[in-house]
Amino acid sequence: MVSISLYMGCLFSQGFFVIVFAVYFPPRQDAKEPIGVCPVSNVLEVENLNVEFNMDGKYYHAVRDVSFYIEPGEVLGLVGESGCGKSVTSLALVRLLTKTARISGSVRYNGRDLLTLSDSQMRQIRGDEISMIFQEPMTSLNPVYKIGSQISETLLLHRNISAREAFAQSVEMLKKVGIPRPDDIMDEYPHQLSGGMRQRIMIAIAMACNPQLLIADEPTTALDVTIQAQILELMKGIGSEFGTSTLLITHDLGVVAEMCNRVAVMYAGEVVEQGKVDDIFYNPQHPYTRGLLNAIPKIDAESKSRLQPIEGNVPSITRMPRACRFAPRCVHVMDRCKVEPPPLFETDDEHVARCWLNEVKEA
Amino acid sequence: MSEVLLEVKDLKKHFPIRRGFLRRRAGAVRAVDGISLQVMAGETLGVVGESGCGKSTMGRSILRLVEPTSGSLKFQNRDVMAMNKSELRAARREMQIVFQDPYASLNPRYTVAQTLSEPMEIHGLHDSAARRKRVESILDRVGLDPSYSRRFPHEFSGGQRQRIGIARALILNPKLMILDEPVAALDVSVQSQVINLLEDLQQDFNLTYIFVAHDLSVVKHISNRVLVMYLGRMAELASSYDLFSNPLHPYTRALLSAVPVPNPRAKRERIILQGDLPSPANPPSGCVFHTRCPLAQDICTQKVPEWREADANHFVACHLA
Repeated sequence: MVSISLYMGCLFSQGFFVIVFAVYFPPRQDAKEPIGVCPVSNVLEVENLNVEFNMDGKYYHAVRDVSFYIEPGEVLGLVGESGCGKSVTSLALVRLLTKTARISGSVRYNGRDLLTLSDSQMRQIRGDEISMIFQEPMTSLNPVYKIGSQISETLLLHRNISAREAFAQSVEMLKKVGIPRPDDIMDEYPHQLSGGMRQRIMIAIAMACNPQLLIADEPTTALDVTIQAQILELMKGIGSEFGTSTLLITHDLGVVAEMCNRVAVMYAGEVVEQGKVDDIFYNPQHPYTRGLLNAIPKIDAESKSRLQPIEGNVPSITRMPRACRFAPRCVHVMDRCKVEPPPLFETDDEHVARCWLNEVKEA
Repeated sequence: MSEVLLEVKDLKKHFPIRRGFLRRRAGAVRAVDGISLQVMAGETLGVVGESGCGKSTMGRSILRLVEPTSGSLKFQNRDVMAMNKSELRAARREMQIVFQDPYASLNPRYTVAQTLSEPMEIHGLHDSAARRKRVESILDRVGLDPSYSRRFPHEFSGGQRQRIGIARALILNPKLMILDEPVAALDVSVQSQVINLLEDLQQDFNLTYIFVAHDLSVVKHISNRVLVMYLGRMAELASSYDLFSNPLHPYTRALLSAVPVPNPRAKRERIILQGDLPSPANPPSGCVFHTRCPLAQDICTQKVPEWREADANHFVACHLA
């Protein structure tokens, strides 16, 4: 009896959910009307993005002065350890953070500042021009909807097409992401699929409207290596087929080396180094980047050598070092690092590092 | 490294699947299906495989934390399978385990001192003053301040918690430690701290490790020998060097080629396996890998490949290798 009423409750809440959606999604009009056009070639330009969260009445920076850009068709890697603010950055870009977060700076997508758009304008962009893939394919799919309706939902929202057409396009999408028996899978529920298959479905949903920008937050972290290889291969293929630009968020330097054109390394809410993938791996300038590269065991290492860890732990958001946030763990720390926050120094063409050691080189 | 510390023979763990009103046995998940190996004193045996391949269940079966379905276990020439409860408890003093999730494996209501003294209390070791001393010295040894002993787990970071987990396993002076994904939940910068700590402890206390992990780079770094498992069975076993430089089993090759290397200019030939891991409740006939194997032939679907020594100390279960 209990289980039946619970089930009814679920059904009811689902129905309610749909009604709310129907109310909140007005039919699409002048959606592509550009707001504040400026002549830029970059798909995305983030400038001085700050995100602060309120804890016990005080605001703390989770993301501080983050700036980066993504060129058309490019894959930018956002790398860092847990708690460094990479996911918060990505959620801030598409305005998916709670209203209690204080966001400042500018996020220009094709010349429009996403931070100044209304909620309904933002909704028209999300899922259509900018889409997302998250880490947990199980939690990002709705367990009580069939795969087919979850893919067509995106199409029905953003395209003026019939349900029948949406269904046909969804099947096409499933074929593109390499799902066997796409017609049957349309009629199945997420729990009937494996982790790798679910992530393929997520990619199909994200790519359904042919977005210009894809934000992938740890898309392969929950998957096994052989499945990860499949998904990375798929993302590469899909990316070049659709000409999509990608913001790839990951902690895995191997994935970065394989997928990205350029890399931004984050530490404690700041971008500490940014540059082309070769520069980051072969000529890292920030001690944190160097530390990360030395800390990982390498599968292609010829001989066994001792790992060189970065001593200490990531500082907590409430107790950030005042100046350079990496100073307490840095092997090259100087007196200055503890009092004066370092700016980003340009060390090479398109290569910047937030470290006082690079100041000399610049002069 | 000549003495055999642990001998496992044909270890199996099948979890029954029960169906229907009477909970009749309708089949079994063959989580571990015939593992035989020897672990030498002082070595590190790495165990790799994808999720669901039975590597963790194997680790737990060796300690009889999950009761094996069949097989024999010999630890220091004593038959573990024949032990009764109290004998097993005494034996476990020498075989300890460190779990993956440092958040879930520590009691949140126990201080570090309580967590670390509990094993000594259970085994009736030392008086309380000596226990406290031991706790402090072991904390110091794993790189934590002895004054932390009065704190609770939530006051520590993931890396520190894993150090506490290691200290708890270490406090009884075990001979064998089973490390079940000990660094998987940690960030890279902290992960290397813990790996180095494990290496140091092994040296100092002459420990033997069974290191279960899915991260091949970590396993390569820490292990002397490596066992590759697939669907509850052994695919390949060799020295770390041989396995990584000359993998014989097609699954090992695919696994190695799938690992993303932190080197953008590395050009490697990647073997992409098609499909997913089959269900261990209904494993394929013949060689369990044949459904995904790029080299599979007729014989693979019919005959289970035998476990054989293809090279000196390099074992493989494949018809074609």
